[in-house]
Amino acid sequence: MARGYLALVLHAHLPFVRHPEHEHFLEERWLFEAITETYVPLLQVFERLVADGIPFRLTVSLSPTLISMLTDELLQDRYARHLEKLIELADKEVGRTRHTPFHETALMYQRMFRDIARTYHETYGRNLVQGFKRFQDAGRLEIITCAATHGYLPLLMINPEAVRAQVAVAVDLFKRHFGSPPKGFWLPECGYAPGIDEILKEFGIRYFFTDTHGVLFASHRPRYGVFAPIYCPSGVAVFGRDVESSRQVWSAQEGYPGDFDYREFYRDIGFDLDYEYIKPYIHPDGIRVHTGIKYYRVTGKTNHKEPYVPAWAKEKAAVHAGNFMFNREHQIRYLCRHMDRPPVVVAPYDAELFGHWWFEGPLWLEFLIRKIHYDQDTVELITPGDYLRAFPCNQVARPCPSSWGNKGYNEVWLCQANEWIYRHLHLAASRMVELAGRYHEADGLLRRALNQAARELLLAQSSDWAFIMSTGTAVEYAVRRTKAHLLNFLRLYEEIRRGSIDEDHLAWLEWRHNIFPHLDYRWYASEATGS
Amino acid sequence: MTTLFFLLVGVALLVLALGIFLWAGKGRPSPPAAGGEAVSFREEMAEELGLFPATPPEAPAVPPREPELVLPQRYGVDRLVLMVRDPYWLYAYWEISATRQEEFNAAFGPRAWESTRPVLRVYDVTGVNFNGFNAVGYTDINIQEEADSWHIPVGQPNRSYCVDLGRKFPDGRFVTLLRSNVVTTPRSSLSECLDEEWMWIEELYRGLRFPYGVSSPMMAEEVRRRAEVFPVSISSPAFGPPAQEPGK
Repeated sequence: MARGYLALVLHAHLPFVRHPEHEHFLEERWLFEAITETYVPLLQVFERLVADGIPFRLTVSLSPTLISMLTDELLQDRYARHLEKLIELADKEVGRTRHTPFHETALMYQRMFRDIARTYHETYGRNLVQGFKRFQDAGRLEIITCAATHGYLPLLMINPEAVRAQVAVAVDLFKRHFGSPPKGFWLPECGYAPGIDEILKEFGIRYFFTDTHGVLFASHRPRYGVFAPIYCPSGVAVFGRDVESSRQVWSAQEGYPGDFDYREFYRDIGFDLDYEYIKPYIHPDGIRVHTGIKYYRVTGKTNHKEPYVPAWAKEKAAVHAGNFMFNREHQIRYLCRHMDRPPVVVAPYDAELFGHWWFEGPLWLEFLIRKIHYDQDTVELITPGDYLRAFPCNQVARPCPSSWGNKGYNEVWLCQANEWIYRHLHLAASRMVELAGRYHEADGLLRRALNQAARELLLAQSSDWAFIMSTGTAVEYAVRRTKAHLLNFLRLYEEIRRGSIDEDHLAWLEWRHNIFPHLDYRWYASEATGS
Repeated sequence: MTTLFFLLVGVALLVLALGIFLWAGKGRPSPPAAGGEAVSFREEMAEELGLFPATPPEAPAVPPREPELVLPQRYGVDRLVLMVRDPYWLYAYWEISATRQEEFNAAFGPRAWESTRPVLRVYDVTGVNFNGFNAVGYTDINIQEEADSWHIPVGQPNRSYCVDLGRKFPDGRFVTLLRSNVVTTPRSSLSECLDEEWMWIEELYRGLRFPYGVSSPMMAEEVRRRAEVFPVSISSPAFGPPAQEPGK
């Protein structure tokens, strides 16, 4: 019997980037890179663990935008083409690197990309969402979801109906793909504000996560700190992030990913190799991009980089997995002295950290799960749902409004670079609520226009745009997306109000922004006016 | 207001570009002069750019520019919205319709608007059901005439605030134009509310600084540099202590 629990949570999300109007679109590569480097490798880890009969429990959050993109035929086709080119490049690289210290790594990529193609096409028939579902059905994963377009909810709560719609759309989409509503909910950026829990409760959500101080600064003061969930007065449970386990994986300085034997992210042949050679594999306009083929290891803190040695990196991943487990055992033994129930250590991460940023991340996870099974009996993997079933009685406290962004509150999404968006987002939300109140049972063209207006609003609300603006890189795309969706919304609003809907334009928007085909604009009806 | 400034600069540049274009036009049909035609002019520019020799392959080509997207400056809706940035700062934005301005002049005289100054009145409404008169305290912030948003340094975690945007007469009289929603700043520390019969395992946390926002490796750099964290001491309005214990 384990003395305490570890709840590993992987939150997978990318903003909705799909441009049917362009043959090649730079930002679509975000998805392609994440499929190759993170989503498929994670599924392959789960496959190997299941094949070896190793029991494990993990929580995976799949955002509705990601679910939509992974199941979109156009993007599936484009990814398939992207992967073919990548395999072609990897084959060439095997030839080019012969008799160099990079050859072994080139062979590794050649093997890896072919394996990924097999998994993608043959094992899952291009539908990775079904892949994740397979492990849910096998009792390995607890899959949850997050807000429809990853809207940063605390700053949308000016219009609670807009937050309710973000949740309603997410829960509806989740049910369609996974057969039952989600038990848990990942608050985008762990952003919590009072009232959000009550909306989650309306949809049967049992739990969500906050950053450490979301639980730690709750009132009344939680007896077990972040090592047991609290209940909001609404009855929804809150799990707080553990500081120690986060730092070990996240921190660029003390964290594992910065180890000198691991692969260096920033040295990619897309930038390093001769233009004529690499041209067919970067953006057709000649913009150099990451190809995913990288030959160097971190090496040290300077720009001098040495060739990557796959065997060393693998060895390091095993060492780090052992270290992480040792620290958890130690932590749990210590906590047990102060608690009258088994502590739960909650360790949430962006899924894309594993594989994309930290190339060896999936391998580390696999080693960790194997070691937890074979090497000790202090720590057991658990999901929040399992924990709440085992320990249904928890302290009641009001969580502290918080996020896991820089400085811990709302500043990342409300700073000088992005504050201008809110006067538009809030106004659009109130107009959407107004439309839903005005038209109770629309059908035909009007219904289509109302639904598309809701889609445009949701897409404008993605926290990703505000985040990108705050970081100062790729700002133009984020600004454009925000403005374009808002303008689309405002135009539809005017057309609906005037009673003259431009059907061609509507059809064009439906084709371009085809997310959430089952969305129902009536989810925006406020409780007072809703039927 | 800054946006308006940039818009004006943008228009000025466009006019300048138009002048240059006409001068170098070489017998092109002259574009109509009306401002509304600026869009078609831009499209012509875009086409013409395509005729230039292709950029050398080494230089990353700039993707073709799409027409600029311009959101409305105003929606004609009177509103003052208050948002929480962190335990020490709020952010407010607002819009006052021309009607509201006219109403003000109608009520206080035709020159009332010009002879008054815009002021944000920040009420501490912690523990009260605010009705306009029962605030725990308030602070006035003089703002610029053109301002349509403000970062407000309240400096106090776990307190509730409401903001009025109004006009102040030279004699100090304050007239409210818009009132915001009420917000509460988040805590920045452990709650003082302890259930006395419970033991708290606080030795785990004593002296530990929580690495807020280590949510991505890219941000880790910033996190280390956040020694100053919040500029609490800078221009925090001094709110008086609550007159009574927060109710409920």
